[in-house]
Amino acid sequence: MNIIVCMKWTPDTSEADLTVSTTAKDIKKDDLDYDMNDWDRFAIEEAAQIKEKIGGKVTVISLAPEESEDMLRECLARGADEAFQIWSDQMEDGDGFTTASVLSEFIKGRPHDLILTGTLAEDDGAGQLGGMLAAMLDIPSATLVSRIEVNDQKVSFVRELEGGLYESMEMDLPCLIAVATGLNEPRFVSIRAVRKVASIEIPNLGIDDIGIDAGKVGRSGSRVEIEQVSLPPEGEGAEIIKGKAEEAAARLAEILKEKGAIG
Amino acid sequence: MKNIYVLAEHRKGLIRDTTWEAIAAGRKLSSELGAELTCILLSANATMAETLSTEAQRVMVVNDPIFETMNSEAVIKTLKEILKPSGSYVLLMGASNAILDFAPGLSVALDAALATDCFSVEVKNGKLFASRQMYSYKINSLVSFKDSERVVLTIRAGSFPFTSSNVAKGAVENVACPIDLTSLKKRFVKYVEAEKGDVDIASADIIISVGRGIGDEPDLDMFQSLADTMGGVLACSRPIVDKNLLPKFHQVGTSGVEVKPKVYLALGISGAFQHLGGIKGSPLLVAVNKDPRAPIFRVATYGIVGDLNEVVPVLDEKIKALKG
Ligand SMILES: Cc1cc2nc3c(=O)[nH]c(=O)nc-3n(C[C@@H](O)[C@H](O)[C@H](O)COP(=O)(O)OP(=O)(O)OC[C@H]3O[C@@H](n4cnc5c(N)ncnc54)[C@H](O)[C@@H]3O)c2cc1C
Ligand SMILES: Cc1cc2nc3c(=O)[nH]c(=O)nc-3n(C[C@H](O)[C@H](O)[C@H](O)COP(=O)(O)OP(=O)(O)OC[C@H]3O[C@@H](n4cnc5c(N)ncnc54)[C@H](O)[C@@H]3O)c2cc1C
Repeated sequence: MNIIVCMKWTPDTSEADLTVSTTAKDIKKDDLDYDMNDWDRFAIEEAAQIKEKIGGKVTVISLAPEESEDMLRECLARGADEAFQIWSDQMEDGDGFTTASVLSEFIKGRPHDLILTGTLAEDDGAGQLGGMLAAMLDIPSATLVSRIEVNDQKVSFVRELEGGLYESMEMDLPCLIAVATGLNEPRFVSIRAVRKVASIEIPNLGIDDIGIDAGKVGRSGSRVEIEQVSLPPEGEGAEIIKGKAEEAAARLAEILKEKGAIG
Repeated sequence: MKNIYVLAEHRKGLIRDTTWEAIAAGRKLSSELGAELTCILLSANATMAETLSTEAQRVMVVNDPIFETMNSEAVIKTLKEILKPSGSYVLLMGASNAILDFAPGLSVALDAALATDCFSVEVKNGKLFASRQMYSYKINSLVSFKDSERVVLTIRAGSFPFTSSNVAKGAVENVACPIDLTSLKKRFVKYVEAEKGDVDIASADIIISVGRGIGDEPDLDMFQSLADTMGGVLACSRPIVDKNLLPKFHQVGTSGVEVKPKVYLALGISGAFQHLGGIKGSPLLVAVNKDPRAPIFRVATYGIVGDLNEVVPVLDEKIKALKG
């Protein structure tokens, strides 16, 4: 079983104070911490578990600049056999379509039975890459998958719909699965485990290695253009209860009582 | 762009609300572009076609038994064929979990540009724009489409309120299924319902809901105690279930449980729209979050900017005192 996992290197914005860059085309990212996309942590774990169960080889790839090497090394410690970093300066400012084009060009040239991605990237949150990549490779795909069972030439899986409803489906291999968070419990990796894979080389491939035309990547190949990013209008918003934690909590208790909100 | 298409979403023989919202967005574009709106229904169900024809000038129906569900492979193959002669168009649909399964692959098959989860769309000087969110839903992003004759847009639930148009009834046009859909590589097996638990948050009036802000090794007793004091139940956001801290039937949100409480306390929850989508009615919503910019403060009634580990024990104690 040849498994390829696509990993995205994303800035953690959930608690950060974000400011718009001077071009207004993106946010300022210099002070943000980057890490593997949370959804992808479940994808690499699933790949490792499938390999442990039925054997095979796990390859991780990421289209990301050099700084993402730590993430790829962590993937090796999580059970991947090899990792490739794909980047050329021309790839800057691409969209989901160009990212999928590059990854599909790379994957086409190697054996692949199962491709795993996250359903959504936490930064752009488009939820588009998996489906696009599968279409380019002409293989079936499914997103938001919360259970996977590989047997023989097919995969049985369960995908999430809304309101506690799921659909159970099956697909022939080769195929692509975009996983949902929560489908497994990502293992803890120790610093020692990461050290053990320190000597594995992580090749960096550029557009020439991939064999893709420069016009098809980055800004020139993208179909969607970000015109402007902005902070959402403040709107009415909450009435903020001021004061130290203790005072604010005491005041909130009173408000809840006044509003008849204490059962 | 000469044509506006809306793909109807259906499940278990019923049109889903996402369809009406996509029609509302489609009507806006259709009037801004002076283009005709056509609704596409992939289903053998004539009642659904009838229903759609009361709201769209034209309904195209592809009738094949495979469309009992919206199998992505069948949807992509079929739309690719039936939209081939259409030249330039915008295709709209809801941003639902079923549609997330095929919209990106469809955009590649149609050689179209894609923007997902759009909360606003407009045409200015003949150019199409869409707005979506990025970076933990804290940033709005306005996007346009480069030399694109064809654009696929998915529409965020709740962004385009639908009102019945009372237009003249549209024509229903049956289109023969253009391709053989008998040997698909992807097959539907059955629907599965999530297990029901011993707590029913759907009917609770007071909900104490915890999110990722409670940390990796939280003291859940602290939150349960507050819930007990307030006479409420403990609920959570999705990451809490993903980490196995609480069972799935505690999860509020689009992929969890819909709740309709009178009071909702959001503790360490950022306010992602999939979470808020599970909160119906208009509860007294109180948020405690250490990030003053957290989107939850935009929808909350009251907020405390602070560390929940400091706020919650005091709150519990004070409420106990007030109850006497
Ligand atoms: C400076 C800047 C400018 C940008 N400009 C534009 C623009 O003009 N138009 C536009 O549409 N987008 C733009 N983007 C965003 C774009 O480049 C996204 O990276 C791209 O759309 C793919 O990610 P996604 O968020 O859509 O992934 P999703 O489809 O949400 O991700 C799903 C899954 O795909 C996989 N995946 C995603 N990205 C990668 C990757 N790079 N390598 C390996 N696996 C991956 C992961 O498994 C992930 O879980 C810009 C980004 C930056 C940083
Ligand atoms: C198809 C789909 C379906 C989904 N369905 C659901 C669903 O049903 N329900 C759901 O909840 N989500 C759902 N999600 C996930 C959703 O998009 C968000 O990722 C999720 O809701 C975030 O949960 P959170 O607010 O707990 O975590 P985060 O977004 O990480 O927010 C944590 C918050 O805690 C705050 N915080 C941290 N430490 C403290 C502290 N000590 N004191 C106070 N505040 C603190 C931070 O400032 C931050 O705002 C779905 C996503 C997708 C794509």
